[in-house]
This record gives sequence, structure tokens and C-alpha cells, in this order.
Amino acid sequence: MMRTVLILFLGVVLTSRVEAQDVLIPMDNSQSDHLKAYGVTFWALERRMDVDWLLNYRGGSFLVTKTPELEAELRVRGVSYLALSGSQTASLISTVESDASNTSVVRLEQPPRIAVYAPQQTLPWDDAVLLALSYAEVPYEMIYDDDVLDGALEDFDWVHLHHEDFTGQYGKFFNYRSTPWYIEQQRQAEIAARARGFRKVSELKLRVVEIIKQYVGGGGFLFAMCSGADSFDIALAAHATDIVPEEYDGDPIDPDALSQLDFAQTFAFADFRPIFNAREYEHSDIDSGPPPPQLRNPAVDYFTLFEFSAKYDQVPTMLTQSHVATIKGFIGQTTNFVKKYVKPNVVILAEAPGRGEVRYLNGTFGEGTFTFYGGHDPEDYQHFVGDEPTDLSLHKHSPGYRLILNNILFPAAKKKNQKT
Amino acid sequence: MYPMKISSRTVGYVLGIVFGAFCCSVAPAQEVDSSQVGRFQLAESFMRAAQYQRAISLLEGLYDDSPETHVFYERLREAYESVKRYDAAIALVDKKINQETSPTIYVADKARLQFLKGDEATARLTWQSAINTDPSSSSVYLLVYRSLMQVRLFDFSIEILEKGREYLGNNSLFQTDLAQLYNLTSQHDKATIEYLDLLSVNQNQLNYVRSQMGPFLTTPESLEKSITVVQAGVATEPLNRSYREFLAWLLVEDDQFRPALDVYRAIDRLEREEGKMLFAFAGVASDGGAYDVALEAYDEVLRRYPLGPAAPDALRGLGLMQEKWAETLGEAVFDERGQRLPRNHFDEALDTYQRFLIDYPQHPMFPDVLRRIGLLHQDVFYDYTSAYTVLTEVIGRYPQTIVADQAAYDLGRLAVMENRLEDARLEFSRLLTRLRTGDLADLSRYELAMLHFYKGEFDTAQGFTEAMQENTSTDVANDAISMKVMLIENRGPDSLDVPLKSFSRTKLLSRQRQWDTALHQLDDLLAAFGSHPLADDISFDRAELLAKTAEPEKAIAAYLELSLFFPGSFLADRSLFGAATIQYKVLGDNTAAIATFERILKEYPGSLLITATREQIRRLRGDELL
Repeated sequence: MMRTVLILFLGVVLTSRVEAQDVLIPMDNSQSDHLKAYGVTFWALERRMDVDWLLNYRGGSFLVTKTPELEAELRVRGVSYLALSGSQTASLISTVESDASNTSVVRLEQPPRIAVYAPQQTLPWDDAVLLALSYAEVPYEMIYDDDVLDGALEDFDWVHLHHEDFTGQYGKFFNYRSTPWYIEQQRQAEIAARARGFRKVSELKLRVVEIIKQYVGGGGFLFAMCSGADSFDIALAAHATDIVPEEYDGDPIDPDALSQLDFAQTFAFADFRPIFNAREYEHSDIDSGPPPPQLRNPAVDYFTLFEFSAKYDQVPTMLTQSHVATIKGFIGQTTNFVKKYVKPNVVILAEAPGRGEVRYLNGTFGEGTFTFYGGHDPEDYQHFVGDEPTDLSLHKHSPGYRLILNNILFPAAKKKNQKT
Repeated sequence: MYPMKISSRTVGYVLGIVFGAFCCSVAPAQEVDSSQVGRFQLAESFMRAAQYQRAISLLEGLYDDSPETHVFYERLREAYESVKRYDAAIALVDKKINQETSPTIYVADKARLQFLKGDEATARLTWQSAINTDPSSSSVYLLVYRSLMQVRLFDFSIEILEKGREYLGNNSLFQTDLAQLYNLTSQHDKATIEYLDLLSVNQNQLNYVRSQMGPFLTTPESLEKSITVVQAGVATEPLNRSYREFLAWLLVEDDQFRPALDVYRAIDRLEREEGKMLFAFAGVASDGGAYDVALEAYDEVLRRYPLGPAAPDALRGLGLMQEKWAETLGEAVFDERGQRLPRNHFDEALDTYQRFLIDYPQHPMFPDVLRRIGLLHQDVFYDYTSAYTVLTEVIGRYPQTIVADQAAYDLGRLAVMENRLEDARLEFSRLLTRLRTGDLADLSRYELAMLHFYKGEFDTAQGFTEAMQENTSTDVANDAISMKVMLIENRGPDSLDVPLKSFSRTKLLSRQRQWDTALHQLDDLLAAFGSHPLADDISFDRAELLAKTAEPEKAIAAYLELSLFFPGSFLADRSLFGAATIQYKVLGDNTAAIATFERILKEYPGSLLITATREQIRRLRGDELL
């Protein structure tokens, strides 16, 4: 009797293994559209399909249960894939999980709810994350100051900040102060601040930053690019003083501002100096600025990703999944972070070699994590105000954009409730 | 280049002179001794070095020594502000207020300092008290307004200036300042009222008004508000041209072409412009795709001012627009079976051009209009006799002109259509010899290559294409390259190139719109040379001709056959695409079309049509396309 049951059980198991088929979405150089691959993975997660992220395996590939709908979607979106039989999948998993290789499997469980912090007003520059999410067809919601102050962050797992100025200096676009978009931006910010009982925009922004910080502390995921990264920490450090020049808020900076900076409040940077010159298009010396003239050339400017242990350092490994180890540089209002200002507990993910400059970093605060990424647009070396948005269909394999999209899947690897 | 060397002593002298001059100009009675000059210079340098405390110590001493010296007061107040010692700054200003007989400017400054200190309620009272110092003076309101603008209190600025107007009983005061403030606070209707008042006094300010309003009119709501106000203005002052032009400009900005036409019509009549305003507007409306409105504008110019200066250009413009309209709508004169369709915009264009010839025989654009008539006959109405007559007339009456060259090229094409291949060769050869370079020369060269191809003179045809492909900047270079590839790949198997020669004849028949004959010959060719490398080209042309001759089911079958029999052909993916397009466009079968498009994705993942295929699938299944 027992023997019969065992045979039957083995039969069922083996049959199911033979029938079970998966799809491997390779993320190495064979992939026809790396950016859309993230979108399809997100699409699969939304449909509660089983998705595994094979860290460091063929550029950080994805393994998804095969269905006709998935295959159709992969074809329609132009994402290349391989159909695997049950035994091939088992063999693949075994290879990836073996101790001999620096690879591992991470199960992605639920699609993160994504918020992009940006004004409704159209500003004459593009937002790399919005471009990436739109191209990859990953759903997101736009939020801004009022939403943050009203507690909207509770509804999201992942928040993105891009070309924002949390110091209340309107991006330090002093040269554009007479243009309609700048006037409108300033006016809207002032109206919002006054409506919330703040005398200055810098005070409103500080409150927003503090709420986002609480959100991260409670388990949220924060991703910030360009000036959204350093101005976030500058605002936190200057919570007890006034670092905004008269040209932006109508009164001079606090003469004791430097001594009143509180670096204990910041996420990633310490000991930096804000720049008080209203006409200088720079917030602080955290940003190393554009590369030196001899390197200010898309052909020679690049940064390199660090390699982490896929089995023991899964967070940095997920954030650095790429099909190349060296990525071409790109300039922003904040380009690279000066290494000496990076706090020691922060993990450096990528840096410009030999220049003491960090491009990409990650750290934890409370229950959550933050990731800062320098530069403005990974596929537009120097993006100027008024430039046309980058057409990502021409940059389907962009490693720079891949780093952004690694971040949106990273929260899916962790199933937990927000504590905010 | 090196900087000029200047000694520190010279700098001292210069500064002393400047300082002295400044002090004299500010307060002639003040006396400043040399030690004060030195201390002041030192304080200035401390200020520049952001050593405010040290500067304040010096400036306080200087001010105590000479409180009537304005520059000491000014710098000391600045220094206090720099270190946010607002109470000290306010006390200093209070002293100044007590000294002055007309202290309004200092009272306003005191209010600003109180605002910066964070005491907004007191600041507002102080600004009000500044007004109260002399409420009958318009300059007092402006002083307070400028003080308020320093701290960007736009709403309060508006309140102050409006009160000033009311008190002084003069509604024309502070017009541009208020208009700017209204725009800054999104009160575009009020801003528009201010600018209308400005225009009622000086109509020449219209360009200034447009430049001021333009940057703020970025939303339909803002435009709507302004339009409503200007419409009321026009009703009140119907004879003010600038009002009407302002209104018309706003309406065009808001894409309201029909109401804009009414406004331009009125301007044209009132100002006796004899159609010039309407003609200009018709062009704008046509460019904006508002063809019906443009048509009305052109018609009105021609009906009301047939002898006016704008009439000839309006008539030609009308013809051009009708052609554009027909192309936008995808109109044709004959259907796929060759039956005449009802009159459409091409007929209108032809009539318009013919009217032009009758009405304006001496007009400089006469030759161009004549050639356009020839082109319509040739390419739209397929009336080759009329086309020949007209194009020959262009060449005969206007020799040695660009239009004559273009007409000669058209005549060459006409000869091909009429199967007068030798005439065509002569026409293109003469044109090529005369022009040698340029777009028309390249087009002629390509036509010569095609003629040799039709005649089966493949070596000569290939020679022409090789000459052309070097100039890749021209549009026909791609066509030349395609022809060369076809010639290289499909010759043989015998030395007479029989299949290719037969195929070239079907190409000529297709061009000459002899589709049935071409179809028969293609069928014969396929039967005879089914395994020749040309077979896929033949099948593809056959499917295309079936589609042209309103045989959608047969065309789909032919396209699908090609992908079945010649799966490795470079035309296989195009065939599937063609079949799917007919399935959804002609038969309305979206499901079948999606299935066919999906075959391209599965079977030809490297196809050049892959992006278009994905887009079509997503469109057909109702995805939201970015």
C-alpha cells in the first residue's frame, strides 16, 4: 500500500516538474530591450506570477513562470526570452545557488507602489526616472508637497526624488529668474508655503524632507537623483539655520550658518559646506561638479560599479545588477558626490575611478533604505534647460537607466508592511 | 594681455574722489573727514569679506560721528540686515525717520524689516502708515509697492496700488505695474483690463502688450479669461483697431479660428484693408489645419475685393490649400476600379487654378499655377492629353526658368506613363545635361535608370544607380540602391535574363496603371519561374496589385502565400504586415490582424517592421500608447 502511494506521489511530482515550464529573461548582452524587461517583470508581479531575480546571473536575469500571456507580452514589448523546461529550470537554479559562483536567487513577491515626487507644473527639463518608468511601462503616481504633508507617503513603497531643490532656492536657476516657468515655479512654491503657514519656501521644503525622512525610518524606500540627493541632506543639515541667500527668500543667510549645520540629521553626507553665492549654480561642495576639462567628454568619462557578494550582500547586489561593469558618465547639477563627505556607514555602489568621487550609494535609516545617484540623464551627457527629453527607444540597453530600474524592483524583494 | 598696474595710492585717491562725489551728491551739507573715509573703506572691505561684526563696529562709530551722512546709515542698515539684527536695523531706521522731514521711504523700509523679522502684522500696519504720510501723492504708493515687491507680497502690492487709484480718483495710474502683478497672481482677466486701458490711450502699444501677456497665457483657462475681457472691450470701443487685433491674436492662440475670422473680417472692413488682413489670417488658419475657416477667409477676399491687392495671392493660396486639404483627407479622383468619384477638393483646386489663369494672366505666379494644373491633370486626374498641353505651354512660354525645368521633368514622367519611352529618355537626358547637379538632376538620373531597367538594359541601369548612390544626401539615393540590389540578385539563370526582363515589363505596366495586364503577366511569370530568385518579388507585387484593385481577400491570401512559400525572403515580414493591415483596415477584423502581426514577432523577430508591428498590436488591443 505504502509503496503504491509513494509511486503515485512521485508520479505526480515528476509529471508536474515536466509540465512546469519557465521563462528566462536574460539581462546580459543578448537582451533586446533591457529597460522594457524590467517593465515586463513588473507586469508579471502585478499578476501575482512567480518571479525570481537571478542576481549576477547573465546580467541579473529574471525567471518567471511561463504562460501564453507572458510570452505574448514579452514579444509585444520586444523583450527577448528563453523558454525553459522544468529540468532546465532546476539545473539553472542549482547553478545559481551553488557556492562556487557569486550568484543567488531572490524571490520577488509583490510590485512596489511607486510615487514620483514632482510638481504638476511642466518644467523645462526631463526627469530620468519618469522617463525610465514611462518607457518601461511601470505604473507610478505623482505626488508633491501637499500630498507629502497630507500623509500620502503611507500609500507607497518607493519614492523617487529627482531634480528637486529641498533647500528652497528654486534650483538656483538665478539666470532664469525672468522666464515664465521660473516665475510660475517660485509663485506656486510661495503660495504653497503660505497656505501651509510657512513664511518661506525653505521652511516648507524642510518639513517635506523631515516627513520623507520619517517615511524612510519607518521602512520606506527612497531613491534620489541629481540635486534631489544632495539638497535633501543639505536641507536636513540646515534645519536650525538659514542658508538661503537673499535673492531667493528675501533675507540674508544666517551669518553663523556654518557653525549651526547639524550633520547628525543627514542620511549620507557630513562635514560639507553649503554654497551661499546665489549666482553659483551649486548647492554645496558635496557635488564634485563636472569632470575636469580633460575628462569632460562622453568618450572618456565613466564610472565603475562595485561587485558585491550575491549571497551575503543582496541589497547592494540588486542595486548594481548590470550587463556592464563600467558605465558612461553624465553630468547634472549634482554629478558625483565627493567621497570625503560620505558618511562611513554608507555603502558605495559606484565611483568615478581615481577621482575620489562617488556616483551611486546606498544606506539604511531606521527600517528603510535610501539610494542616491548622481547626474541628471544617463543618456544625455549634459542636459541643458529646454533640451528635448531623451528618447529611450534609442537607448534600450542603457546601463545608466538600468541602475534606476534596479531600484524599483528592489523593494519587491522584501515583503513587509510599512510602518509609517 | 596683461592687467594695467595701478598702485594702492592711486586706488585710494580714486576711491576718495568717488566717495567724496557720492557724499556730495547725497547730502551736500555733510562733511566727511579723511579718517572717516579710511574707516569707511575698511568697513566696506569687512563687509565684502563677510566680517559683518567688525564692519558694524566701525559703521556704528561712523554713524554716531556723522548721523547725517547717508552712506553711513545705508551701510550700517545693510550690515545689520546681513546678520539678521533686525531690531537694531529698525531702531536705526526709526532714528532716520525722526530726522527726516519726508520719511515715507524710511517708513516703508522699516515695514520691510519688520516683515523680515517675522512680524508681518506690524509690518502691514507700518506700510499703511507710510501711505498715510502723504496719501495724495502717487509716488508714495509706488514707494510702498516697491518695498512690498522686495519681499514678494504681490497680493498686498495689488491692494496698495488699487487703494492709491481709488484715493487719487485716477484709474489710469500704475497700469503696467498692476497688469504685471495681476499676471503674476494669475488674475489674467484683470491684467487684460489694464492692458486694454493702456491700448485705449496708445494703440501702438499692442506689440508690447502681446509680449507682456504672451508668457503668462499658457493654459486654456488663462486665454479664456483674457478673451472674455477683450470681447467686452471690443463691444465698448468697436472702432479701436488694437482691441480687435488683440482679440484676434488671443483667439488664434486658443485655436478658435472661426471667431478669429469674424474679428479679422471686421478689422478688414473697418480699416479698409481690402482683404489683406483676411488673406494673412487665411494662411494662419490653413497652417493650423482649420481648412474650412481658411476657405471662408479666402472666399471673402475674392468675393469682396476681387480687384484688391490681395486677390491674386488669395486665389493661388486657395488652390494650394485645397490640394493640401485633399491630401490630408486622403482623397482620390478615381476608385480602385477606375470609377470616377464625386467632386472633391482636388476638383476645387483645379477650378481655382484655372480661374487664376483667366483672372490674372500677367501675374508673376502664372507659370507656377500653370504647372500645378499640369501636375493635377497628370497625377490626380490621369488626363494625360491635358497635362501634356499645359506642361508644354509652361516650357514654351517660360523657357530657361526653374518652372520650365520642373515642367520638363514632369513631361518626361508623362511620357513614361504614355509608354513613349524614347521621348521620356530624351526629356530626362536633356534635363540632366542642362542641370548636371541638384535634386532635379538626380531625379532625372534615376528616371533614366528606370527607363533602362524597363527596356531590359540592366548593365546601363546599374551604371546609373552606382553613380547615384555616391550622393547619399538625396532622397532618390535609397531607391537607386534598392534597384541596384535587385539587379545584382535577380539576373540569370540564362544570359538573356528572361525572368528579370519580364518582371521589369510588369513594373512598367504597374506604373502605367495597367494593373490587370500586369497581374496576368505576374501570374504567368510565377507559373514559369516559380523557383527563380525573383519569385518572391513577383508574389509580393502580385499581392500589392490585388490590394490596389480592390481584391482584399485575394490580396491577403497572396501575402500569406508569400510568407508560406518563401519564409526566408526579405519580403516575407512585409507580406505579413500587408496582410494584417488589410485585415484590420479594410475588413475590420482586428483579431485576425493581431494574430498576423504576432506572426511577425514570432517568425521575424529581427524585422525592420518590428517596432511598427508592436505598435499596431497595442493599438488594436486598445493599449494606451505613450
